[in-house]
Amino acid sequence: MPKVTFITRDGKEVVVPDGCGTLMEIGREHEIEGIEGDCGGVCSCSTCHVYVSPEWMERVGPPEDMEDDTLDFNEQRKANSRLGCQVELTDALDGLVVEVAPAED
Amino acid sequence: MPDPDDPFREARERCPIHLGDFQGETIPMILRHKDVRKAAKDWKTYSSDAPRRVPIPSEEDVRTVRQYPLEVDPPVHSEYRKLVEPFFLRPKLPEFQAKLDALQNRLIDEALQQDRIEILREFAIPLQSHALTYLLNVDEKEAETWIGWGVHVFKEGDGSSKGAFMEQYCRSMFEQAEQSPGEDFFSALNQAEFQGRKLSMEEKLGYANIAFAGGRDTIIYTAVRIIAYFADNPKALACIREHPEMINTAAEEFFRMYIPLTHIGRVCPHDTDVHGHTVQAGGRVSLAWSSANRDAEVFEDPNTVKLDRKPNPHVAFGFGIHNCLGAHHARAIMRGLILKLSERVERIEVLEREDHIEKAADYARKIGYEKLVTRWHPATKSY
Repeated sequence: MPKVTFITRDGKEVVVPDGCGTLMEIGREHEIEGIEGDCGGVCSCSTCHVYVSPEWMERVGPPEDMEDDTLDFNEQRKANSRLGCQVELTDALDGLVVEVAPAED
Repeated sequence: MPDPDDPFREARERCPIHLGDFQGETIPMILRHKDVRKAAKDWKTYSSDAPRRVPIPSEEDVRTVRQYPLEVDPPVHSEYRKLVEPFFLRPKLPEFQAKLDALQNRLIDEALQQDRIEILREFAIPLQSHALTYLLNVDEKEAETWIGWGVHVFKEGDGSSKGAFMEQYCRSMFEQAEQSPGEDFFSALNQAEFQGRKLSMEEKLGYANIAFAGGRDTIIYTAVRIIAYFADNPKALACIREHPEMINTAAEEFFRMYIPLTHIGRVCPHDTDVHGHTVQAGGRVSLAWSSANRDAEVFEDPNTVKLDRKPNPHVAFGFGIHNCLGAHHARAIMRGLILKLSERVERIEVLEREDHIEKAADYARKIGYEKLVTRWHPATKSY
């Protein structure tokens, strides 16, 4: 199972050695601030917004249309934004680093 | 006749807005998903700084206070919202969940023991009222008073006298909390500071007003419709029993399909072109959440319940800064309800039903049931 590193809003690193499920699910399991996943992972609430480390963008891939639309309304969106609930962890993502996006105003 | 579950379908497919008539006021209803989300984010053009006029129809006759934080704009909005946010996050606490579990088990026990049960009055209203005591952290016996308020504080019976009664009730709760402060919602607001001062009674009543009125009929009708859905689709209960991982997606799908709140208003501070219709300064628009949730451009087969729908970017809890403060509460209640029904109930028979239809001048929309009389059959083994 892949290892995932979250960079929290206060700049700390939280390493999840054996991530299983989606980025949102493991973020919640490890109580990472800013990874709320209020809607349970259906791309409705945008409370699991992360920035994917640039070197990982290609492997993680871009958002699908619905996720892209939801992100479009988020003031904190950047080119490397993803919603954690839409990123399923696979062995190909072993070593992934993501930063928790700031809350919206 | 348009489908009462999606009365805006034809209008939405034809045009981005529908000009609705609400007591002689023409209000453009924004119907499409993307447009609704865009307008909800644009608070400068579509303002909430409109006391008693954010709901449609307006509530000028049924309450005297501005609702906080619903009826204010940035920058003060977030300051107002932060004052009560801790209460609305309580559904995430284990002790809240334990109380909710016990409540739902008790109500399901009662439903299973009776020969017939009317879901609205005997299940959903008690569920909502008791759960609200956990949210506001007040004595559970207060629920008995709230149960007497019916489905909707303002819309049922004589709205203005009930509204006045509720304001008086809230005023007395703030006064009591002043005398003997505790860890409850009323005491917290008495002690809260906003920009270096205490809140006025008008502000405190405004918070209490939406806490009681805002999440009341919405939770009650959603619970009733979920139960009706399982009555009509008994295989769905078995499906969730076998796949409990579907509970979250099922809950979100029910929120999308059965949103009781047809729409909400915003006021245009300046003359505004709304998809070709000019709204004069001070006039209102409607964000039609219920229509956006059925937009076929976003939701495949939008009028079908798909318990595993994902993604499901519905706007049942609004969108943007004013997204529903009570969403955690609603989600905790409905997820728990779906789980417990699937574990404990084999099937539900409907003995009598009568739809509750919201009638406006030019549409009729089903938002719940007036009456849903049922008989419940227990699961043959416990899961």
